[in-house]
Parts: sequence; structure tokens; C-alpha cells
Amino acid sequence: MRAFELVTATDCRHAVALLAEYGPFAKVLAGGTDLLVELKSSPHVPEVIIDISRAEDLKIIAVTDEGLSIGALVTHTEIMRSALIREMFPALVDAAHTIGAVQTRNLGTLGGNLMSGVPSMDSGPALIALDALVTVAGPAGRRQMPLAEFFVGPRKTILKPDELLAEIVIPKQNFGKPAHFVKFGLRKGQALALVNVAASLWVGRDKQVFAAPRIALGAVAPTVIRAPKAEAYLEGRAITPEAMAEAGRIAVGEAKPISDFRASAEYRQDLIAVLIKRALEGACAQAKAKRDRET
Amino acid sequence: MANVTLNVNGEARTASVPPETTLLKLLRDNFNLTGAKLGCDVGDCGACTVIVDGKPVNACLMLAGQADGRDVLTIEGLATLDGLHPIQKAFEDNASLQCGFCGPGIILSAKALLDENPAPTAQQIRDALAGNLCRCTGYTKIIEAVQDAARALRGEPADKAA
Ligand SMILES: Cc1cc2nc3c(=O)[nH]c(=O)nc-3n(C[C@H](O)[C@H](O)[C@H](O)COP(=O)(O)OP(=O)(O)OC[C@H]3O[C@@H](n4cnc5c(N)ncnc54)[C@H](O)[C@@H]3O)c2cc1C
Ligand code: FES
Ligand code: FES
Repeated sequence: MRAFELVTATDCRHAVALLAEYGPFAKVLAGGTDLLVELKSSPHVPEVIIDISRAEDLKIIAVTDEGLSIGALVTHTEIMRSALIREMFPALVDAAHTIGAVQTRNLGTLGGNLMSGVPSMDSGPALIALDALVTVAGPAGRRQMPLAEFFVGPRKTILKPDELLAEIVIPKQNFGKPAHFVKFGLRKGQALALVNVAASLWVGRDKQVFAAPRIALGAVAPTVIRAPKAEAYLEGRAITPEAMAEAGRIAVGEAKPISDFRASAEYRQDLIAVLIKRALEGACAQAKAKRDRET
Repeated sequence: MANVTLNVNGEARTASVPPETTLLKLLRDNFNLTGAKLGCDVGDCGACTVIVDGKPVNACLMLAGQADGRDVLTIEGLATLDGLHPIQKAFEDNASLQCGFCGPGIILSAKALLDENPAPTAQQIRDALAGNLCRCTGYTKIIEAVQDAARALRGEPADKAA
């Protein structure tokens, strides 16, 4: 690795101050599982690395007035072990579990995963299916936006160079919303997704119909995407296996998968249809289990 | 330079290293602890696995400065003057390793698992070792050794028939 200066941020505010101080010459280091790999192979290394991995105020998982707040520095292992997240959003736990291996999950953070901006990121789809918001901290204070609007292209987010991703919030209205995540990789362990999909849905109050269905997909477009046409097709429709399969077929037309060394575009298209059906089935099964528990 | 002080295998160690030094390089080049291996250097192989504050991590993906003040356990910290650690003993008894390059990382991943879960299923063992690649063995005897070690650590006799 080429030489750089290493400075340590004690908390979020300090990290933002350091970003303002070093500006475009600096880059933030969280778990390092993406950044160090990049720095080792890159001829261009930032002059200053701001180590935020000790900022305890970015490691909090808590229910707030807004919803469930997950600090950007929460690791994938911590998500898997959080009693709160296990109870409220098992789909996030499933997604975290598929990331890399134990060693990667112990270092890698949720914020780092989102900031990496790679289309195959495993924490994006489930969070987007749950309408997650991100809170960004900068010199002028904090701003918030839907995660779905955070990604602008491969490895690109709307974060400005002097800003820090501070937290991820799942809004209160989605507490208890059944959701399911599925990832298809070439191996069970330590494999990036060929396609990953998350779905969430409510079941109509009186009838067995889809309400507020969300479908989010990774590795099939330049960013993690939603499938609005498939969602619109499901809204208010009776919950049947045929409807789920049709939603999968519609979503194929909304994605733009590429062929690469892992899989062809055609194969990914087939996966999209199959995985969406499975994600919807999983979310429906969870809705049913919840209803059975409550009655 | 980054000045670091960490607790390695129960002993306070200090060093002054360039900021871009990884924990793996610090352990191997400054502290002469060459048990953790340099394999891929990008987080894929697990040969560099060490336990930091109770959790297995890839030492090639952590900066020495990030390990400052932390507790690090390497393979050199397992055996005592009385003999091998029960996990090492089980690997020896099962002839689980061939070239042995993956061994320190695998044994530390297994230790972290057994510290938390004294009776893991074969699937849980596979999940815990998914980040440790072995190019020689095919893993079967490694899984068996971890099961044997789990029994030994629980104080049960080795069960060869199972
Ligand atoms: C062997 C291996 C397997 C992997 N497998 C998977 C996988 O299966 N699925 C998957 O999705 N990913 C995988 N990854 C990628 C990686 O582990 C994850 O993306 C991880 O969550 C990154 O988090 P980090 O904290 O390590 O990020 P870092 O490497 O510290 O940072 C990544 C980027 O985000 C920036 N950044 C980090 N935090 C912030 C913040 N709070 N604010 C602003 N910018 C920030 C950094 O500057 C850097 O550019 C794998 C990586 C490895 C090495
Ligand atoms: S050398 Fe660190 S994971 Fe391969
Ligand atoms: S014994 Fe040779 S790599 Fe595992």
C-alpha cells in the first residue's frame, strides 16, 4: 500500500470536522473491507485516511421517534446479533448473514456497504424494500433522504465529499412489515450475488390482497433498484402464486442486467423472475406466521 | 509514523510503524509472530485470521493503528508449556491438515466459534469456517476435528464412531 497519513475521529462531529479540514485529499475508513482492498491495488491513494472506526456514537441501534435507527458503523455481525433487529426485521439479519464470511462481517459495516455503492451490495435491497432513509452529517448539519435516492450509479452516491453517512432509519410505519431477502450466488459461502432480491408487503385488512408491496433488486442495474411496475401490478391484487410469478416476470422488464464473468444477462433475467417469486412467498409466509401468532 | 500498543497473546507490545501498515504486517514483521499467514492480502482466504477483542478478523484488512489498544490473539497464543490447545490436539489427532498453511487461521476461527457455541452443528461449523480456504484437504477432517475439539472442551470423551 502507498503511504498516507492516518487520523482518528473520536465521534461523528469530529469526523465531519476532519473531513472539512482535509477536504478532497481525505477518505473515510470504517471497517476497511472494501477500502483497504481498493488502496492495495490503486495507484491513487488519498493523502489522508480518516479512521472513523472508533466513533462510538455511530454504532448505536435504537428505536427513536422516527423509527429504527442503525448507526453507519454497526457491523454486519452486530446486525445479526441485535435482539431488536432479529425481532423486528429478520430480513435484515438474513441479508447481513450472506455478506462475505465471519471475518468480513466482524469488520464490515452497514454504512461501508451502502457507501461502496456496488450494485450487488447485500444490505441495499432489504433496506430499500422497507423504505429506509439515510441521515447524512455535514458541515451545515444533517439532511435526510430515502435510501432509494442515495445511489446515483455504480460506486456513486449523492454524498458530498465533506459529508458522512451517519445512520440508516427504517420508518415507524414499517415496524412489523413482513419482508424477505433472497440472494443467489455461485457458492453458499463468501460469494457476491448474481442477483439479490428483497420484498416487503402488508396483507389487506379485510381481504387477502397485497398492500404497499415493495420489491428491490441488486446486481441487475447500475444501482440497487425498485421494480415500480411489478409493485403497481401487485397493489390491491389477491395474494396468489400466479400473481407473484407475474410480478417476477414484469420486473424482468424493469431491470438491465449485464453479462459478466459470473453470469450472462439472460441467466440473471431468469433469476430475477424466480427470486422475486421466492421473496414474495417468504414475505407472505412471514405475514401468515405473524397472524397465527396474534390470533 | 503510527505508535501502537496492543495486547498480543496476553503481553503488551508496542511498535512505531508507517500508517499504511496492516495488522498482519505488524504481527509478522515487527513482532516476529509468523503464525498468521499472508495469503491473498484481500480478505478472501482467511490465512491471516487472528482474533481481535474476541472476534476473528482478517489481519490483512485491518490497519495496525486500528488495532491500537486492542486484545489480539494469534495462533502462537494457544498452546501452553503443558501442551497443545484442545483444538490443536484435535487437528493433530484427526490429521486434519496437509501443508498446514490454512491451519492457524482455521484453528482461530474454530476457537472463536467454540468460545461462543460449545456444541455447534456441522452446518454452523461450515458457516464459521467459510472465510478460511484450504487448498489441500477438502475440509472433511477439519470439520471432524472441530467436532472432536468441541467434545473435548465440553469434557466429553472423543466419539470416533459418530
Ligand atoms: C472477502 C470479502 C467478501 C465480501 N463479500 C461481500 C458480500 O457477499 N456482499 C456484500 O455486499 N459485500 C461484500 N464485501 C464487501 C464489503 O465487505 C462490504 O461492502 C462492507 O460492508 C464494507 O464496509 P466497511 O466498513 O468495511 O467499509 P470500508 O472499506 O471502510 O469503506 C468502504 C467505502 O465507504 C466509505 N465509507 C465507509 N463508511 C462511511 C461513512 N459512514 N460515511 C461516508 N463514507 C463511508 C469509505 O470511504 C470507502 O470508500 C466483501 C468484502 C470482502 C473483502
Ligand atoms: S491474507 Fe488475509 S484473507 Fe487472505
Ligand atoms: S492444509 Fe494446505 S491449505 Fe489447508
